[in-house]
Amino acid sequence: MQDLLTYILSGLALAGSFALVGSGIVVVYRVTHVLNFAQGMLAVFGAMISSTLLGGMLPHGVAELVAVLCCAVIGVIIGVAAIGKPGTPPMISLLITLGLGMIATAVVIGVWGQTPVSPPGVGGSVDILGVSLETQRIVVFLAALVTFALLSVFFARTDIGKALTAAASNARAARLVGINTRAMGLVAFAISGALGGLAGVLIAPTTAVSVASDLPLVLSGFAAAIFGGLRSPWMTFLGAVILGVVGQLVAAYGNGSYQTPVALLMMLVIMIVRARSMTTEEAK
Amino acid sequence: MSTSAIRVRPVLRPIRWVAAIVVFAILCVVPLLLSDLTFFVQTVLAAVVVTGLSLFMGYAGQVSLGQGAFVAVGGLAVAALTVNLGAPPLVTLVLAPVLGAAIAALIGWPLLRLHGHYLAFGTLAVLLIIQTVMATVPFLGGGVGIFGIPALSVGPVVFSGQLPYAYLALAALAGAMVVAHNLVNSRFGRGIRAIAGSESAAASSGVPVLRSKIVVFAVAGAFAGLAGGIGAFFTPFVSQDTYPPLASFGYVIMAMIGGLGTLWGGVVGAVVLSLWLQLLSSLAALPGLPPTAGPILQYAGYGIVLVVFLLLLPRGIVPSVTDAVSRWRTRRRPPASRVADAEEAVVDAR
Repeated sequence: MQDLLTYILSGLALAGSFALVGSGIVVVYRVTHVLNFAQGMLAVFGAMISSTLLGGMLPHGVAELVAVLCCAVIGVIIGVAAIGKPGTPPMISLLITLGLGMIATAVVIGVWGQTPVSPPGVGGSVDILGVSLETQRIVVFLAALVTFALLSVFFARTDIGKALTAAASNARAARLVGINTRAMGLVAFAISGALGGLAGVLIAPTTAVSVASDLPLVLSGFAAAIFGGLRSPWMTFLGAVILGVVGQLVAAYGNGSYQTPVALLMMLVIMIVRARSMTTEEAK
Repeated sequence: MSTSAIRVRPVLRPIRWVAAIVVFAILCVVPLLLSDLTFFVQTVLAAVVVTGLSLFMGYAGQVSLGQGAFVAVGGLAVAALTVNLGAPPLVTLVLAPVLGAAIAALIGWPLLRLHGHYLAFGTLAVLLIIQTVMATVPFLGGGVGIFGIPALSVGPVVFSGQLPYAYLALAALAGAMVVAHNLVNSRFGRGIRAIAGSESAAASSGVPVLRSKIVVFAVAGAFAGLAGGIGAFFTPFVSQDTYPPLASFGYVIMAMIGGLGTLWGGVVGAVVLSLWLQLLSSLAALPGLPPTAGPILQYAGYGIVLVVFLLLLPRGIVPSVTDAVSRWRTRRRPPASRVADAEEAVVDAR
């Protein structure tokens, strides 16, 4: 019983990182209908920049904040290439972000090399119901919760958030009432850059991040986002929790190397089951 | 458009066949001039895979980011069956495309209900699942890979050295292109062309959408399986790292830069990207550069080509060149034939 609780709690801790990467994918997809394949790379950038800055340049807090802001800028650069040219179909935009992800990989290898980094985070561990968990993991989970709550408020209550939602639900109508949908798309890319950076900054202290973490990160984020049909933030969070917990249980009671395939299979099954409802709006 | 295609083709056909034969004759001479054929064979095999992928991407209008999965199936068919079961090499080479097609059809039946981004990620997931299976199941290599694949032999004739495999790969490419050409220029081909335009319109005109897509996916799977099989004999070693996601992204890049849905797009894309990457890796080997220069130039090479082509030449090399040529011809001819030329351009772009 105690073991089961351990696995569930560490799964929840893992869910925080999936949810943060997934939220970045959702924000961009909602507004632009583009899937940002470079989202994992943004997290890698976040981890790398924060680890460099923490290496003596800036104190805790400031370093993380600067890293997140840098990632927001990188997000805008990706956005300009992906949606800057008018009339770029979403599929081409996906491939552009794939190409940008590769260029980003080259940049990361050039600047930071291929060795994993793990900057210092919040040390120590906390006992929950008799299970000892690293404090950093709890920070990740709580940060994800707070981020999602802020995102909900942002999209529902602020002017720019409402404009983003309008651009997402009906681009033509949004343009008619004077919303610049391309600018909104770039704002979405900036937010997703910051979210990706935040994910990297928070994950790296518990799980070392290297340039090779890109693909696993974007896949787990995408898998979580699938639960919400790539649109709903809170369903993405739920998806992340399910993926995290099931992954830990599979690793514990089955075979550790089947953790990724099980997550991928769940993603495939959900996509195929929901195929009809998800594709109606994309049907030509 | 289809009537004009029928009218134009008899004029075009002999020229096209002659051009194709000349290109293949040149390709047949090249291996005799090279001392190491690894690059040549890998490029030709990539062209086989991309010919199938281009068919799928161009006509089914979808992206597969995990085409390496079916290359892996072909490679495993050869490696696991010859080494672990002692099956005759020729039988396994025949099985490679068959299994590639069968598994593509099997996976395609549920998977091809997905569209766009979902299908792109779904195919990538399939590749990663196959990689994990290869890393854990002992019969399929179990993480260490399968060594010592025997040379291909037909009766008493043993294919030793690199040269026979170069010609085998070329034969596979020729075969793949003939199949692709006949598939596209058939009743079935017109059906899948309609799907690329609009799925609902094709469906309401009586095209069995899902079944047609599965057939194209299976044909692409067969090409990939054949390339994987020949590759396994050539290397002769197969492990999960033989089929990295980066290689599958590379196939997509080759298909995009060559020109989707064109017969020669796969070959042109494979040759252009392979030469470009080869150039970069010889640059990275220059003295004085750090050891990370290799991966940096490799990733940057893939990424820059993809982004630059998508932004500047989104239709790819082959359609752009054929358009430019037919525009040039139109200008030189009297205006009376201009309409026919415009139609020809459309047919060429196919």
